[in-house]
Amino acid sequence: MSTTEKLIHEVEARGEGAFVESFDPQEGRMVINMGPVHPSTHGVLRLLLELDGEIVNECLPVIGYLHTGMEKECEDNNWRGAVTIVTRMDYLAPLFNEQAYSMAVEQLLGIEVPPRALYIRTLLAEMNRLSSHLVWWGTQGLDMGAMSAMFYGFRERELILDFYEMVTGLRMNHGYIIPGGVWEDLPPGWERAVRNITDQMPRRIKDYEALLTENPIFLERTKGIGVITREEARALGATGPIARAVGIDWDLRRDMPYEAYDDVSFDVPIATEGDVYARYRVRVAEMRESVKIIEQLMDKMPSGDFKNMDPKLTHPPRAEMAHSMEAVIHHFKLSTQGYQVPAGEAYVAVESPRGELGAYIVSDGGTSPYRCHVRDPSFVNLQSLSHMVRGGLLADLVASIASTDPIMGGVDR
Amino acid sequence: MTTTHSPGEWLDRARALHAEGWQLMDLAGLDRLRLAPADPRFVVVVQLINHELKQRQTIHIRAEGDPSSVPSISEVWPTANFMEREAYDLLGINFEGHPNLTRILMPDQWEGHPLRKDYGVGKVPVEFIPQPLLQIDAPGQSPNADGAATHLDHLGQVVIEGDAP
Repeated sequence: MSTTEKLIHEVEARGEGAFVESFDPQEGRMVINMGPVHPSTHGVLRLLLELDGEIVNECLPVIGYLHTGMEKECEDNNWRGAVTIVTRMDYLAPLFNEQAYSMAVEQLLGIEVPPRALYIRTLLAEMNRLSSHLVWWGTQGLDMGAMSAMFYGFRERELILDFYEMVTGLRMNHGYIIPGGVWEDLPPGWERAVRNITDQMPRRIKDYEALLTENPIFLERTKGIGVITREEARALGATGPIARAVGIDWDLRRDMPYEAYDDVSFDVPIATEGDVYARYRVRVAEMRESVKIIEQLMDKMPSGDFKNMDPKLTHPPRAEMAHSMEAVIHHFKLSTQGYQVPAGEAYVAVESPRGELGAYIVSDGGTSPYRCHVRDPSFVNLQSLSHMVRGGLLADLVASIASTDPIMGGVDR
Repeated sequence: MTTTHSPGEWLDRARALHAEGWQLMDLAGLDRLRLAPADPRFVVVVQLINHELKQRQTIHIRAEGDPSSVPSISEVWPTANFMEREAYDLLGINFEGHPNLTRILMPDQWEGHPLRKDYGVGKVPVEFIPQPLLQIDAPGQSPNADGAATHLDHLGQVVIEGDAP
């Protein structure tokens, strides 16, 4: 164990109780509570802070305020229905939850997914990365006092949400990616909607950079703030932009490709400073790469089925039910009971906007998941927040929270 | 690749894996009550990744004893801290040597572990403070006009004397 890891272990060992006991009015130390209702905590994140004047000595996340037992709920749904539960976990990146879950179920089923479905999924996932990063960009700016960033970020996000609505029927919690493919084919005119986004985004990202990247106030608030070292990030299991901002050159899309990522070329942005600004640069660069990936996927979009057409797994086309008794039987079985998945377990991870999002699925051979555990990157990354803010100013804590980009729906599940 | 370990050998194995460059990605508890074989009842499932080899592996650790226990690996991989707390909270698996094994998602005073298969879903009593529906303790406050004697039955309902049940 390295000295950093030892230090981390010692701090963790002090625990919540030890933290509150260290309150000492004589030495001017103060314990305060930030959240769970606070505009800069991105949801219901509660932080216990030990302050020495304005210096943060210690910061402990207290979570669970949004816990609704989603993993337990999955066990009461059939395999298709659980998609609608997992999509509600990380609500800014719902398609990644569906993707990881569906890939895990497909692995247990041992079925093929048609290439068009893989491309649609990858396209929507990259769209989702854009929309999620746009919210992060807006809130990061807002937390640093740049109110207009929020407006710009949400303006472009609206374009993407309109595209979701056109494709899936909903703006969030889509339930669109299902085991075996996607629920519906892309609607007519989707190319124009995608082209509209990919044409605008590079210009918009340029605007964002003009607003924040070179902004002296923003630089002042983010450079050298919330630093985490490479060893700390590795020990604390940080993934995604947090890890890539300390020089851990790892991206599941490139290093362990899944779905259609093998067929597209893109760069993985890396920074080494490990501060808020490095994470900012990594995420903005990732947005550019996402646009590149979307353009390639659109040009290469194959034709064919959009889901596995095995009648035991997927609902029959509406027209077929008018003249085929078998189709009616399949429809009835799928709607009332669902399909069975062979007994076994699978762990599949995808690269979500926040890092590795994994789904661990166990089946007992029945029609509903026996266990459905989701490894949410926000939950794991939150542990590194304490290490970012220790010794910094209270005002800088807000910058660090925004750059960790925690989604409490994913943290608490 | 999946391997199974007993709790006794797990900590040494974890240190060796850590030295080989394996990183902890996920740790989840599993209640095997309705799976075959159902013994041991609880299993801790660990997902590891190795960036150099670009490989993953899954490790099952059998939880033994009462309460079902496995050694904590949060000193080997500090990231296990939250994950072990989650497994303890939702499944009641005891992690020996964990620095701060407390509930993380459920309220601190919660009884039971919700992800266990024998946890009664829908059988949780609703939290409320029982109160009688009507307070009649002073004479003259009787709700019936002719002043017949009343009392509250065991459900807190007003019963007028003389009424046939």
